[in-house]
Amino acid sequence: MTDSPDRPAKRPFRLPFEWLGLLPFAVFTLLFLILPTMRIVIGAFQTGDGSFTFQNIADLNTSSIRSAYWTSIKLSLISAGLGCAIGFAMAAAVVFGGLPKGIRGPLLTFSGVASNFAGVPLAFAFIATLGPVGLITLWLKTEFGINLRALGFNILSFWGLVVTYLFFQIPLMILIITPALDGLKREWREAAEVLGATTAQYWRMVAFPILFPSLLGTFALLFANSFGAIATAYALTGPQLNIVPIKLFAQIRGDVLGNPNLGYALAFGMIVVTGIANFVYIWLRTRSERWLK
Amino acid sequence: MMMRLMSWTALIFGCLYFLLPLIGMAEFSLKMRRGVYSLDAYAVVLADPAFQATFGYSVLMALMTIIFGVLLVVPTAYWVRLKLPGARPYIEFITLLPLVIPAIVIVFGYIRMYNTSSWLPLTGSVTGTNILLMMGYATLALPYMYRSVDTGLRTIDVGTLTEAAQSLGAGWFTILAKIILPNVLVAVLSGAFLTFAIVIGEFTMAALLDRPAFGPYMQLLGANRAYEPPALAVIAFAITWACMGLIQLVTRFSKHERARA
Amino acid sequence: MTMKFALAATASLLTLVAAQGAFAQSDELVAAAKAEGMLTTIALPHSWCGYGDVIAGFKAKYPEITVNELNPDAGSADEIEAVKANKDNKGPQAPDVLDVGLAFGPSAKAENLLQPYKVATWDEIPDSIKDADGYWYGDYYGVMSFLVNKDLVANVPQDWADLLKPEYAGQVALAGDPRASNQAILGVLSAGLASGAAPGEAAGKAGLEFFKQLNDAGNFVPVIGKAGTLAQGTTPIIVMWDYNALSARDTLAGNPPVEVVVPKSGVLAGVYVQAISAYAPQPNAAKLWMEYLYSDEGQLGWLKGYCHPARFNAMAAAGKIPQDLLDALPPAASYEAAYFPTLDEVNANKAAVSGGWDATVGANVE
Repeated sequence: MTDSPDRPAKRPFRLPFEWLGLLPFAVFTLLFLILPTMRIVIGAFQTGDGSFTFQNIADLNTSSIRSAYWTSIKLSLISAGLGCAIGFAMAAAVVFGGLPKGIRGPLLTFSGVASNFAGVPLAFAFIATLGPVGLITLWLKTEFGINLRALGFNILSFWGLVVTYLFFQIPLMILIITPALDGLKREWREAAEVLGATTAQYWRMVAFPILFPSLLGTFALLFANSFGAIATAYALTGPQLNIVPIKLFAQIRGDVLGNPNLGYALAFGMIVVTGIANFVYIWLRTRSERWLK
Repeated sequence: MMMRLMSWTALIFGCLYFLLPLIGMAEFSLKMRRGVYSLDAYAVVLADPAFQATFGYSVLMALMTIIFGVLLVVPTAYWVRLKLPGARPYIEFITLLPLVIPAIVIVFGYIRMYNTSSWLPLTGSVTGTNILLMMGYATLALPYMYRSVDTGLRTIDVGTLTEAAQSLGAGWFTILAKIILPNVLVAVLSGAFLTFAIVIGEFTMAALLDRPAFGPYMQLLGANRAYEPPALAVIAFAITWACMGLIQLVTRFSKHERARA
Repeated sequence: MTMKFALAATASLLTLVAAQGAFAQSDELVAAAKAEGMLTTIALPHSWCGYGDVIAGFKAKYPEITVNELNPDAGSADEIEAVKANKDNKGPQAPDVLDVGLAFGPSAKAENLLQPYKVATWDEIPDSIKDADGYWYGDYYGVMSFLVNKDLVANVPQDWADLLKPEYAGQVALAGDPRASNQAILGVLSAGLASGAAPGEAAGKAGLEFFKQLNDAGNFVPVIGKAGTLAQGTTPIIVMWDYNALSARDTLAGNPPVEVVVPKSGVLAGVYVQAISAYAPQPNAAKLWMEYLYSDEGQLGWLKGYCHPARFNAMAAAGKIPQDLLDALPPAASYEAAYFPTLDEVNANKAAVSGGWDATVGANVE
C-alpha cells in the first residue's frame, strides 16, 4: 500500500492512524446503538438504587407478563411457519414450476415492496378488506350468504393478526429463499433422474437437506421479525392486545408495571429472544452458503 | 402437468392474498360519500393541515437521515475496504445489530440515556429530540445503507482508483467526493430510497419521542376517522412502491451504462 | 443560563402578582407566556368538546406560543403517568396542563403533581367541582350515552339491559381502556347504576359484573371504540359521553348514519377537571391557557362541542349564550335525570374498576 502524500511523516512508533477513519462510525454506533442497548441490559439487573439483582428477571414471571411472552412467541412461531410454507411454495412455483419467465421479476419487485409495507397502513388495509364491513366480508355475505363473524373469524383477534403479519412475512421469505432455490443446480436434478429417483425422492433426499439450513434460518429471521413488530398490532387491535412489544410500549409511555426496572427486564427479554433467533439465522446461513458456492 | 398446476395454484393463491387487501383498502377509501365512489376521503386528507405538517416533517427527517447516512456510511465503508479489511466482519456485525434489537428497545434506551438529567440532555429541547429521532432513524436504516454501499464498493476497484487519484495529487476529500461517490451512486441511491420508505412509515420511535411524524398521525387518524385511514394507506403504499420502483430503475439504468462502457 | 434564570425570576414574580388578584389574560401574563414560547398539552383530541377549535382559537390569539400537542389518545391515567415520567425533563415531552376525570384530580394533588392557580372567573365555577385551594377545577360535563351505527345495528338499544341481548354479539365497546381512561371507568359505573346498585364502590363492582356478563355473552369487544372503528364496523355500539357521540355524528356526516341514545336507566353525568402540572416547563403559558379556557370565548368553544362548560349556569343567567348553541345541545330532560356522583363516589368507583377489571372481566384481545 502506498502512503498518501498528505499523510503525516512516519514517527518512531506507529500510531494506528487507519483506525481514526472509523472514528465517526464508532462514535455514532456507540452513542446511538451500543450504549443505549447496554443501558437497558444493565438496567434489567439493577434495583432502583443501582445495586445488582436478579429480582427483575424473576419478576417477569407474573401471569400477565408470562402470557404476553407466550402470546408473542405463539404469534411469531405461527406467522413465521406459515410465512415460510407459503413463501416457499410461491418461490418454488416461480423458480421450478414451469411458469412463464416474465413472472419472476415482478414477483420479486412486489415482494420487496410488500415486505416493507408493514405497520399502520397495513392494519388499515386489512380492516378495509376483512373487517366487519370489509370488501371480502361484504362480498361473502351478499354473494354466498357466508357470515365470517358467525364462522368465528374476527380480524381483531390473534388469528386476524397472524393473517395480517403474513403480508410482510411471505414476501420476506420469497426474497431470501429465491437465491437459495437458484443455487439448486440443475445438474443435481438430472443426476438424480439418471440414477432413477422420482421427483418426490429427489426433493426428500437431495433438495430439502440442502435447503434445510436456509429454510430454518429464514424461519428464525421471520420469527425475530414478527416478535419485535409493534406498529401493525397497535394500529390493528389497539393497546389491549397482550403481546410483549405493546406491553413495553405502555411501560415506556407510563410506568404501568409499577417498577421501572421491570421495564428494562421486559426489554432485555425481547433482546434475548430476537438475539437467539437472529443468531440461529446467521449460523445456519453461513452453513448453507457452503452448498451454494 | 401436476407440477404446473400446483405452481399456478400457489402463485394465484399468493397473488390473491396480496392483491385483495390492496384492492380492499383502495375501495374502502373511495366510499366516503354514501352510495357513490368519490375521492372525498383523499380531498379531506390532503387538505388537512395536520397531514401536511406531519408529512412534511417526515419527509424532512427522511432527507436529513439520508444525508447523514451517506456522510457516515460511504467514507466508513470505503475506509474499511481500503485500509482495514480485517475489521470488515466486525463492522458488518455491528451494522446488523439494528435488525436484531427491536426499535422499541433502542428508543427505550434513548429515553433513559438522553433525558434532561443525563450528560447529553437531548430530550430536553425540541431540536435535541429531533436530532435524537434522526439518529434513531439512521440507526434503523444503517443495515440497509451499509450493505447497499458495501455491495456497490465491491464492484469497483477501490485500491487502484485511490492510488491513481493520489498519484494525481488528490486529497481524501476529493477522492471521496469526486471519484468514489459517483461510482457508487447507484448503491447510495438504493440505500437512500429504502431509508426514505422506512422513515416515512416509522411509528414506534416517533410515537415514544412524541414527535409530530407521519406514522403517529396515521395511527391517530385510524382510530378517529373511517374513510381517511385507507386513503392514507393507499398513499403510503404508493410511496413505498415508488421508492422500490426507483431503486429498480436506478439499478437497471446503471447496468445499462456499465454494459455500454 | 442567565437567560433562563431571568425568565424564571420574572415568571415567579408574575405568579406572585397574578395570584393575588384576578388578572385574566393580563398583559404581564401574556408577555411572560410569550417569552416561554410554547405550551405542551396532552390527551386533547380535536373532536372532544370542540378542542380543535378551542386550540385553534388560542393559537390565533397568541401566535407566538407554539402549542405542542402530546398523545391525543391518552387516558386520564396516562396523563398522570406522563407528568410523573417527566419530572426531571423540561423538554417537549413534559405536559404543562392536564384535563382529567374528576377522580384523578384529588389523587394527583395528593401525589404532589399539581400546582394551584385560580383563574379570573374562579367564582363562577360551582364549588362542588373545584378544589378549594385551586389545585384542580371542573371544566365541563356531559352524560354517558350509546353511539350506535345504524347500518350495522337494526334495533337500536335503548337501555343497558338491552346490550346483553344476543343480537348485539361482538358489537359493544367502551371508548377507552377501563384501567386508564376516565370515560371507560365511568362507563362501567353507569352500567352499575343501571342495575340499581348504590353509587360508589357498589356500583363499580356491579358495573364490572355487567361487563363480565357482556364479555361472557360474546357481546363485548375489547377494543377502544372511536368514530373510526364505529364506521369500520369493528365497534358498532360504543359507550361514550354524549358530547363525543354528537361530535362523532357530525364527523361521520351520515355515512354511516348513527344514533345517539341516552340510556333510560343509569344516566350518569361526568365532570372533568383542569390542572397545571407542578413540573410544568412553561407555567406561564399554562396559566394563560387556563385563563383563555375559562373566559367566555373558551367556555363557548366547549359549548360548541356539545359540552356543558363549568360556568354554564352563570353564563346562561347572564345571557351570554347564543340561542342556537343552546338548541344544539342534547335535550335538557336527560340532564335532569342524570346523577352527578360525588367526589368520594367517583374515587371509590375508580379504585374498584381500574383495579378489578383484569380480575373480574379479563377481556383481552385473544
